[in-house]
Amino acid sequence: MTVPFTNIKKQLMFPQALAASLEIIINQVLSLGSANSSLEKLGQKTLTLTLAELGFPLSFTVTSDLGASNLLVTSLTERADCIINTSLKTLRELQAKQQLTELIKQDKLDVTGDIKVAQQFANMAQNLDIDWQSELANHIGDVATYKLMQLGKKIAAKLSFAATQIQTDASEYVVHEQRLVITKNQIEHFNQAVNDVSKDVMALETRIARFNKSPNN
Amino acid sequence: MSATDKNQLPDTAHTSTDSTTHFGYQTIDKEDKVSMVAGVFHSVAKQYDIMNDLMSFGIHRLWKRFTIDASGVRPGNNVLDLAGGTGDLTAKFSQLVGKQGKVVLADINSSMLNVGRDKLRDKGLVQNIDYVQANAQYLPFEDNTFDIVTIAFGLRNVTDKDMALRSIYRVLKPGGRLLVLEFSKPEHEIINKAYDFYSFNILPKIGELVAKDGDSYQYLAESIRMHPDQETLKAMLDNAGFEQTSFKNLTGGVVALHKGYKF
Repeated sequence: MTVPFTNIKKQLMFPQALAASLEIIINQVLSLGSANSSLEKLGQKTLTLTLAELGFPLSFTVTSDLGASNLLVTSLTERADCIINTSLKTLRELQAKQQLTELIKQDKLDVTGDIKVAQQFANMAQNLDIDWQSELANHIGDVATYKLMQLGKKIAAKLSFAATQIQTDASEYVVHEQRLVITKNQIEHFNQAVNDVSKDVMALETRIARFNKSPNN
Repeated sequence: MSATDKNQLPDTAHTSTDSTTHFGYQTIDKEDKVSMVAGVFHSVAKQYDIMNDLMSFGIHRLWKRFTIDASGVRPGNNVLDLAGGTGDLTAKFSQLVGKQGKVVLADINSSMLNVGRDKLRDKGLVQNIDYVQANAQYLPFEDNTFDIVTIAFGLRNVTDKDMALRSIYRVLKPGGRLLVLEFSKPEHEIINKAYDFYSFNILPKIGELVAKDGDSYQYLAESIRMHPDQETLKAMLDNAGFEQTSFKNLTGGVVALHKGYKF
C-alpha cells in the first residue's frame, strides 16, 4: 500500500495544530486580561469561523473548569451557535459594529445563526485590556522590562526609518534612474499637451468648416 | 530474539487460535493476556503521559484532537471513552458535551484509571464524568446507551478484538458512532523503515530511561506490528455490524482513525 507524499502532506493535521496553538495563546491572553465576566456570559456558546484562506472551520467554545472560563478551539461544526464565513481581510474590517451590515450586503461576510454570539465574542476581544509592560515586569523585573521596552522602541524607530529610506531609494531608482515609472508632473505635462492639441484640432475644425461655407468656395 | 532480528515478525504472527492469542510477538493462552497487559500498564501508568509526549514528540495530542473533530460531538451527548487511560479525550469531551451530557471514562486497568481520575479532578472536570473499570469485551452498560464510543490506543491490547467490537456495537445508540484511534501500518516504505528502526531501537531505550521499563515499550512496539492493518480493521468493524465504515490515515499511516456507525 504505497501512496505519494502529497497525500502524506494532507495528513499532517494543520487544522489541529493551529487549533491547539490558538487555544494555548488565547487562553494565556485571556488569563492576563479581565475578560472572565465576558466569557461567563458566553457559557457553552460556540462561534465557528471559516476563513477563505484556511479552508477549514475553527470553532471557539466557551467552557468553564474550576470556576474559570476558558476557550476550547476545535474544528467541530456540529455545535455552532453562530457560523461566520469570511476572509482574513474582511475580518480586519469588522472592527466597527456598523460595518457588519455593509459587509454582509457586499457578500464579503456570510453569517448563519445567532449574530449576538458573534458580537459578544467581538466585544470580548475588543475589551481585553492587558498591561503588557506590567505582565513582563512580573516575570523579568522592572529594570529589565524598562530596558527591554526602550530597546524595543529604538528597534521599532530604526526599522521604521529603514523602511522609509528603502521606499525612497527604491522610488528614486525606479523613477529617475531606470525611468520605469512616470512622475505626477510628467502626467500633468502630458495631459496639458493633450488638451492643447485638442484645442488646436477644434480650432482647425472650426476654420475648415468656415472655409467650406465661404462663398468663394 | 537477537537485537538484529527483534523487529522481524515471528513465524507465528497472525496465527492465534481459539485458545491462544498474542502478547507482542509471543503466542500465549488467551486467559493470560489480560493479566500480562495489566502488568504493562500498572508499570507505566504514572509515567504514561510524559512517555506519550516523548515517544510521539507531542503528536499524540494532534491525533486525539483529530479524533475529537471527527466525532461530531454535540452538547448533551453521552460519550464512552473506552481504554481512556489518563483521560485526554475525556477531558475534551467533558467540556464539549456540557452539563447536560455525560462522559464515561472506562479502562480495564485500575492504575491507569486512578491516574486519569486524579488528573481530571485536578483540572476541575468533575461534574459530568463517571469512572468505570471495565473490560471492553464485556461492557457493563445497557444496550443503546452512548452516542459516541472512542477507543484510543487501546484496541490492540484487547484479547478478543471482535468480541470487543460487538460489545461496543451493543452499547451504542442507533445513529451512534465508534471511533478507533490506533497505531497502524505506514503507507510509505521509507516511513515504515524509519518507524521500525525508531520503535525497536530507540523507543525501548526511552522507556528504560524515563519509565525504568524497557520491556513494556518493547511490548508496545511488538503489539503495534501485530495489530491488524487499516483494511483488516475496517473489515472487522463491518463484521461487527458497523455501517458506513471508513478510515483516515494520520502521519503517513503511523496511526489510523477508523469510524463506523450503528443504524
